[in-house]
Amino acid sequence: MNIAILSESPADEAALRVLVEGALGEPIRQVQHALRARGWPSVAQVLPAVIRHLHFNTDTEGLVVVVDSDNSVLHAPEHDAPGYFHPDCRLCRLRAIFRQTVKKLPPARGRARVLRGVGLCVPAIEAWYLCGRDERVTEAIWAAGLVSGVLPYTRGELKWRVYGTDRPSLPLEIQCALAEVRRQRGDLRRLENDFPNSFGPLARDLAEWKNRV
Amino acid sequence: MIASVAFRNFKALRDTQLALAPFNLVVGPNGSGKTSLIQALLHLRAISRLPVRASRRRAKPGGTEMVFHFSPPYERIEARLSCVSDYVCDLLQLNVPASDPAWKKLRPGLARIRSFLFDHYAMAVPARRAAGAELSTNAANLAAVLARWREKHPAAFAALQAEFLRIEPDFSALEFQPAGRGEVGLAAVLDDGGEIVTAENLSQGALYLLALLALAFDPQPPAIVCIEELDRGLHPRMLREARDALYRLSHPEAFGMSRPPVQVIATTHSPYLLDLFKDHPEEVVIAQKRGRAAYFERLADRADLRDLLAEGPLGDLWFSGILGGVPEEK
Repeated sequence: MNIAILSESPADEAALRVLVEGALGEPIRQVQHALRARGWPSVAQVLPAVIRHLHFNTDTEGLVVVVDSDNSVLHAPEHDAPGYFHPDCRLCRLRAIFRQTVKKLPPARGRARVLRGVGLCVPAIEAWYLCGRDERVTEAIWAAGLVSGVLPYTRGELKWRVYGTDRPSLPLEIQCALAEVRRQRGDLRRLENDFPNSFGPLARDLAEWKNRV
Repeated sequence: MIASVAFRNFKALRDTQLALAPFNLVVGPNGSGKTSLIQALLHLRAISRLPVRASRRRAKPGGTEMVFHFSPPYERIEARLSCVSDYVCDLLQLNVPASDPAWKKLRPGLARIRSFLFDHYAMAVPARRAAGAELSTNAANLAAVLARWREKHPAAFAALQAEFLRIEPDFSALEFQPAGRGEVGLAAVLDDGGEIVTAENLSQGALYLLALLALAFDPQPPAIVCIEELDRGLHPRMLREARDALYRLSHPEAFGMSRPPVQVIATTHSPYLLDLFKDHPEEVVIAQKRGRAAYFERLADRADLRDLLAEGPLGDLWFSGILGGVPEEK
């Protein structure tokens, strides 16, 4: 498949590519490397333009966008109800931007629209990297922390657990990210299980791609 | 190394103080004291080189005064720099005798405070080989420094070159060319075809990057590095590399090194660079200007910082004005 990935850093992009290939069960052709956003809400601001560009100017079949939840509202199954949209849920907002952008676009380059692949890292992508290696890091544990007001870990602590420092160089970040996602790519069910409303939606989007294409 | 500086009547810094971290990124409008902070450190360097003498001279009332405190193991030392007249500002007073062993140990470190404002025009010109002992303020001797490393510190040169080639993959090697009269010129070899690009034809960004790496990979780095306009000439996506190069100095343990950390003070006007400090707001200093007076605030001291950071990139928040550190508009 011809796929584009919009991410915050080269490390995120490298890791997401491995996860997407794992979910699709086949190598992807990355259409345009190094699409970058500056974190939330810049991702939301730039996403319509990115979708339009990919739709008209490239043969991209699907676009993967993953953002950090930080301390924001987490996605929940009830958000998936038809017509529902949680204004503070970043996943809901990205989906809405996708929906509103592609519906205005006429078919181009032999396809109706660029397919959507949206995920939410809770609270940051390092949590996904730790899946299967650190049982204290899951979406449920983070969600409980948000409710109680006592967060179980910080972004910095997650970095320490993954990279051994909270100031990793880019090469170290890429090296550790790839090692962690390569460990998981053969079977992503644990990641879906531990992050059901954050990695789960991305996995389901990608599963739909397989059916459509 | 320097734990804090308090200013009184030093240029626009009328009455303010600043606690310094191992890494400090200072943002603020023109005239808000960013450069004055660095000048204060250079003034300390200059005066601390001189012998401290018992003197009957007295500080001029209401004149410039800067009080420095230091990090452990020098935390009991206070160094007070003052002016004795409108034109003479060389009075150094210590709260310990000049013969105190801690002061004697601290002084050589203060002599190794360095300040940089890179100049790509100067860097592009061949440099005298003999001038390569350490990087000069504008990095005009970059070629000589790197040529010397290749000869005397081959491991450091190899590490710097590897890092440069990783960040600038268009190139395959650094080269040095004799330039007559004992001078050496810097060049880079293009990966595709082996063409040699001399320094005068290298991009500004490539030269600035090389100068930054010359600081970051220095086998004998200064004790304190001050660098103005860290973002200068660099593409916004390259700023992460610039930050990490300086983190290599200030947090050597994060890079697997055991040498003492180098304190870093960098200034910038780039919101994109500021974005990179979302996870370390304690490293950001906002220089504020109100009328003719300027003062410093640590970003991490803001009580509502966590809520603000949830709303958007740090650079955008700064640009908006809600963090301060922006030009006044009349």
